[in-house]
Parts: sequence; structure tokens; C-alpha cells
Amino acid sequence: MEIGTMLKALQDPMGIPFYPVVFQALMVLTFALHIMFVNFTLGTSFLSVYGYLKGGENWTRLSRSLARATTVNISVAMLLGVAPLLFVQVVYDPFWYASNMLSAAWVIGFIFIMMLAYSLTYVFYLKRDHKTGGGFAIFGIIAFALFLLSGIIMHALGYQLLQPEKWLNWYTKGNFIDTSGTSLHAFQLPRFLHFIIPSFAMTGIFLMLYAWYFKNRADFDKGYLEWVGKTGAKMAFIFTAIQAVVGFWWLFSLPAGFSFFTNPFFLIGAALGIALLVFLYNAQKDPVKYAVPGVLGAFLTIFGMSYAREALRMKYLGRFDYSIFNYKLNIDWGSTALFLATFVMGLAIIGYLLSVAYKSGRVAGEYVSTPSMNKWGKISIALLLIWIVVVAGLGIVISVRNYL
Amino acid sequence: MYPIWEVPNLSAGIVLALMATFHILPSHLSVSAIWFNVYVETKAYRENRPELLEFIKKYSLLLLVFSYVLGSLSGIGIWYSATVANPRGISGLIHNYVWGWATEWVFFIIEVIGIFIYYYTLGKVDKKTHLKIGWIFAIGSWTTMVIIVGILAFMLSSGKWPETGNFFDGFFNQTYWSQLLMRTTLMFGIAAAYAIAVATRIKNADVRAFITKTASRWGIAGLILGSILFLWYLKTLPDANRMLITVLAPQGLKTGIIVSSGVLVLYFIYANVKPLGIRLVPAILAIAVLFGGIWSTERIREMIRKPYIISQYMYSNQIIGKDVIAKGVSAEAKIINEKGILKFAPFVPDGLREINEGNQVQVGKMIALIECSSCHVFDEKGLRAMPQMVKRLGFKEAEAVEGFLDGLGGYPYMPPFVGTAAERKALATYLVSLNK
Repeated sequence: MEIGTMLKALQDPMGIPFYPVVFQALMVLTFALHIMFVNFTLGTSFLSVYGYLKGGENWTRLSRSLARATTVNISVAMLLGVAPLLFVQVVYDPFWYASNMLSAAWVIGFIFIMMLAYSLTYVFYLKRDHKTGGGFAIFGIIAFALFLLSGIIMHALGYQLLQPEKWLNWYTKGNFIDTSGTSLHAFQLPRFLHFIIPSFAMTGIFLMLYAWYFKNRADFDKGYLEWVGKTGAKMAFIFTAIQAVVGFWWLFSLPAGFSFFTNPFFLIGAALGIALLVFLYNAQKDPVKYAVPGVLGAFLTIFGMSYAREALRMKYLGRFDYSIFNYKLNIDWGSTALFLATFVMGLAIIGYLLSVAYKSGRVAGEYVSTPSMNKWGKISIALLLIWIVVVAGLGIVISVRNYL
Repeated sequence: MYPIWEVPNLSAGIVLALMATFHILPSHLSVSAIWFNVYVETKAYRENRPELLEFIKKYSLLLLVFSYVLGSLSGIGIWYSATVANPRGISGLIHNYVWGWATEWVFFIIEVIGIFIYYYTLGKVDKKTHLKIGWIFAIGSWTTMVIIVGILAFMLSSGKWPETGNFFDGFFNQTYWSQLLMRTTLMFGIAAAYAIAVATRIKNADVRAFITKTASRWGIAGLILGSILFLWYLKTLPDANRMLITVLAPQGLKTGIIVSSGVLVLYFIYANVKPLGIRLVPAILAIAVLFGGIWSTERIREMIRKPYIISQYMYSNQIIGKDVIAKGVSAEAKIINEKGILKFAPFVPDGLREINEGNQVQVGKMIALIECSSCHVFDEKGLRAMPQMVKRLGFKEAEAVEGFLDGLGGYPYMPPFVGTAAERKALATYLVSLNK
């Protein structure tokens, strides 16, 4: 079967319920958010073990904070991973499913590896102080190694997906087929590293944010925070520089026919990356001041790079005339409106929750809400109730119409 | 048609069932526990009983670690295992319900951020603010159920959707309300069972007695209401599915539901009378019994969905069985019967696309993998093992099997065979070869 025809045949006959460009934009945006927290997870997991082993007052204290941060970072990374996982299956279903089936055992393995890694992270965080002499580091080390392994699995799935011309060869040996799903078939080192190296740069920025966030807390030592900020800024700069080198390595390893270096998405991504590097160079003298614009700039860079990655995927798949913009449309305004309205409402509620967390963490004692915060809280609850009333009302109307 | 994943003796479907079953324990806890928590917290503040907060702290830590570590991951695990067990099935769901899932995702964010903040700010923010966070978390968490039940129920009973192709017609289908209300009431029973287990770890005897007594009342009410709603749920099932409960569901599962509910009601009554008499081990056993009951119900729900993976649309073996005209989708049986499954499916070795004398058995196995492996394994032992079935039916001649395959669609739970006559013969030849 010719590959272009096969891809068409694999597409879901239902079509998609809204314009592909919207799914694509949401996919890229949520992927950028997801990978940022994946980076935080890997980086804080590594650094918490490093600090624990290195010892000394500052490193031990930082290590404890980072071990706790890792538990939150993984949760957020998973949370944010759900959305791109969903959207990739909407517009790239033939690729995602074929790649998954070819390595199905690893797909399931991923879940168990993550469960183990996450549990070990909790063990490392909750029990580390019970034993002296660095013996507990092994839990943190295994957790980090397992996080890295799950990264390898995701990388392979994402890279196999780009090569439909090889799928049949991976699946069949003569007249025999391999239904075990136990092989990972494709790996590209510079591409993989380009997802991993930023973990250390982003964790550097994470440390800058840490120094900034706690700077007004009386119970935090100034010298300690200053050390954290400086360490962070240094890490962020060095690893962003390494990332730039890896980026060019990846660029030069791409098929020449793509001429990806002239692609506007790549150029924007690369420009953002260079700008970030210059910014981080300047940040060395006063990391706290640069922390908030730093994380925003870094996210913008990741977002630009994620779009470049998507543009690269379109290059790979364009070889077989596959374009998400030709996907059959079955526009469904009702459910689209449901999501968009819920999304906007959700931002307001999530904003409230995060504000409470932010404000309470900045004071040493009990935080008492201001009247405006109280109002925001009440509105959040009201919005949730209104949502339920509206959806239930719609459901009752439809049920009465259809079944009574 | 995607490549196939075979799991020796088990099938990918059972991997999915195991993952989904495991997920029940943390996920149902996550939706229900916070309601109990908020109730107790409100009482603690109103009646000025700060000692109750010890329970709140313990119960939310259980929630945070158990539900949001293992629960979130096994939830994603269900999705992953559904993907590798039935990629076209999950694709069909996603291409209809992507915005439903995306909407659920928004509430999932509220839920996860909610539990972290609820746990870490206990005692660090003023009481009213903490309760607000509890309420937001509780309502947001339940809303994820409001959404996912629509999609789950759709797979079982797709309502008017096959005619209209409309999102909400499929979502608010004939079993939606009964399932939503049943699951909502039962979740209080689940919260109660966990709360009693957590209470056994509390030192203050008054608090322990109070929590256990309160929880036991929630448990009794939840179970009784849930059982009544379960009967309503059975009534709302389409006839064809209800009939399959008699035909397909093993007696063990049915007994499981009745026995577990009975045992739990007695357990809750005992807990109410002698709240301090319950220790950790029996409390965990009670959760196990509860789990057995839920497992039985969910397994039956999946069995009576047959022969479909998506009701009135796609068969368990991923072949589209019915037109959905509103969406411009045609059933695939006709084209496969003309063209042949070996030409229709992309992932077939070139040497097996044409049938000849030498490759009959190999081709037959390929067809069996495509059309049967969702529910049958080909090992000697295992899930609905094909060699055992062939032996039990006493098939020795390919002709007899061909006749059987022809009438397959007549069984209420089997998808029909699709393909050309030559392909049917090859499949029959392969199946007979298993009878040795």
C-alpha cells in the first residue's frame, strides 16, 4: 500500500469537530507548558540528589526544598501532559497510534516506570531525614534514572511517528509479524538532548524564582537566598549555552531536503533562544530582579521552539502529502463552545487557587484573605455551580426531548 | 487498522481491564473523599472542635499521595492501555468527544491544584479561605464525574447519536442519568469506607468515634440509595444489553455485587454501633470487599457492551459496523467483503496479501489477529483461548468452521466475520490447525 494512501486510510472517518489550526495551537501551547514542567521535574529531581550528596548547610537545605518541589512538578507535568496527548490524537491519529502499537509494551511500561519513579520521589522527600550519611540518595538516583527512561520512551514514540516509511519494516519480518511491542525502533541523540538539557537551564531559573519568592520572608536567611539565586543564574546561563550548541547539532543532522534553517518558525525559535542567552548573561549580577521576566522569557522561548518542532513535524509528514489542514471537518459548535467557556471559567478559578497559594507562602504565619480575595473565592464557587446548573439544564432538555 | 499488540495468555484487553480496575480505588476516592472532608472541617470550625483537624490532615494526605500519584497515573494508564488495546476505538471516542475530554481536563487541573493547596495550606490560611478551597476542589472533582460518565455511558448506549451525530445526543444518552446518580451516591459509600480506615490511625478516641460514626451513616445511606439507583440503571439499559447480562455475565460477578453490598451494609452498621471496635486491617478488608463489588459491576458493564466497543457504531474488533450518516461515515463490512481484509488493512506483510496453497495457515493467522485478537488469545491457555474453543466445538474440518464463521453475526455478542470467501477459508484452515 502506498504510504500516502495508507495514512489517509488510517485517519478517523469521523473527522474532527473544529478547525485543525485550533487543535494545533492548543496542542503546541499545552505541550510547551508540559515540557517546561517536565524540565522542572528532571532538573529539581537531579539537583535534589546532588545537593543531598554534596552536603553542607546550603545544599542540604536547598535539596530538601527541591525534593518537595519535585513532587509538585511531576504532578503538574502530568496534568499538563494530558492536553497535548489528547490533541495529538485528534490531528495526528494515524501517526500516534501506529507508533504506539509498534512499541505497545513500552507504552504500558511507561506508566509503571512513572508510578515507581513518583513513589520513590515521595520516599526520598518524606524519609530522607530519618537516615544520616547519604544512604537515601539511592531512592532519588533511581527516581531520576526512571524519569530519564520515561523520557526516552516518549522520545522514541514521538520520533517513530515521523517515519511512516519504516513502520512496515519494523512490524514485519518476511511473512512474520512482530506483535510483541517490546522494541523501541528509533532514537536520535541530538533531538533527545534538546529536550533534556533545558531541564538544567530551567531549574536554574527555578532557583532564581525561589530566591525571588522568599526574599521577604523573615525566616529565610539572606545569604542562603543570595547563594541560591547566584547558583541558579549560573546554571541557567551555562545550560542555555549548551542547549544552543545541541540545537545546531540537531539542525545539521536533519535531512538536507528540509532546508529547515530557513523555516520562519525555526528562525523565530532560534532568535528567542539567543535573546534568552543574552538576557541570562545580564541576569548574573542580580538574579532576583531577573527571575520573573526570566521565567516568562524562557517560557516564550520554549513556546517558540515547540512551534518550530511542530513545523518540523509538518516537514517530515509533508513528504507523504499529509497535512492536518486537509482533515475532514464535522464542525460541532455546541461542544466547542462548552470547552471554550469552561476554559475561560477555569482560568478564573485556577487563578484564585494559585493566588491563595502565592500569598500564603509569602507570609511566615497564617494568611488572612483580603475582602477582594474573599470575593474572588465566592465567585469561583458560584461559577462552578452555575456551570453545573447550565449543563444539567441542557441535559434535562435533551433527555426530555429524546426520551419522553 | 493498526498493528496488533499481543499479550501472551492475557490479551491487551485484559491489561486495560486490570489498569482500569486498579484505577477505581484511587479515582473514586478522589471524587468522594473531599466531600466528607469539607463536611468534617465545617463541623470543626462551627462547633469549635480543632481536634478534628488531625483527621482532615491525615485524610487529605492519603488523597494527595494515593489519589493524585497512583490515581492520576493509572488514569493516564487507562488511556494508554485503551490505546494499545483498541486504537480505533479510542480514536472514535476522541474524534467525537475531544472537547468533552478537554473540558474535563480543565476540572482536572482545578482538582489537582486544589488538593495540593488544600493540603499544604491547612492551618496556614484563615478558616473561611481554606473551606472555600475545599468546596472548589469538591465541586470541581465531582464535575469530572459529570463529564466522564457521559462518555462511558455513550460507549454502552449511544442514544440518538447514531442518527444525529450530535455530541450532546450521545452524551445525555439513555443510561446517563441513572449512571451519574448511581455513581454519585455510591461514591459516598466509598468515601466512608476510606474515612473509617483513616480514623483507625487517630489517637484521640472521641475524634475516632465521631468520624467512624459519621462515616458509617454516610456509608449506609450511600449504599442503599446506590442500590436503588442500580436497579433503575438496569431498567434504563437498552434491551439488547440487558439481555446480555443473562447470557454473558458469569454468576460469580453477579454474586459479587450482591454479597459485597450486603457485607458492607453490615460492616457500616457494626461501625455505627461499635465505632472503636474497628481496626485498620478489617477496615482495609472492607475496602477490598467494596473494590470487589465495583469490579464486578464494571466488568459486567464492559461485557454487555458486546459486540460493540462503541454502541451501535464500532465492533469490539475495531471494524465499523454501522453507518453514521450524519457524520458521513459508512460501515466497513461491505467494502471489506468485496476487497478482502488483507487488502483493506495496511499492516499486512506483502507475502500475505494474496492467498495461495502454501500460505493458507499463515494468512488465516493474520486474519485471526486482525479480527479476533481483541477478545481471544491464540495461546493454549488464557483469555477465551482460541485453541480451547476450537477443541470444545470439535472442529476438525475447515468446511464446518466456514459455516460457523458465516453465522457468527447471529450470536448477540459476536461481531460478524468480514472478508472474502477465500479469506474465510484461510481463517477456517488456521482455526482447524489449532485443534491438534
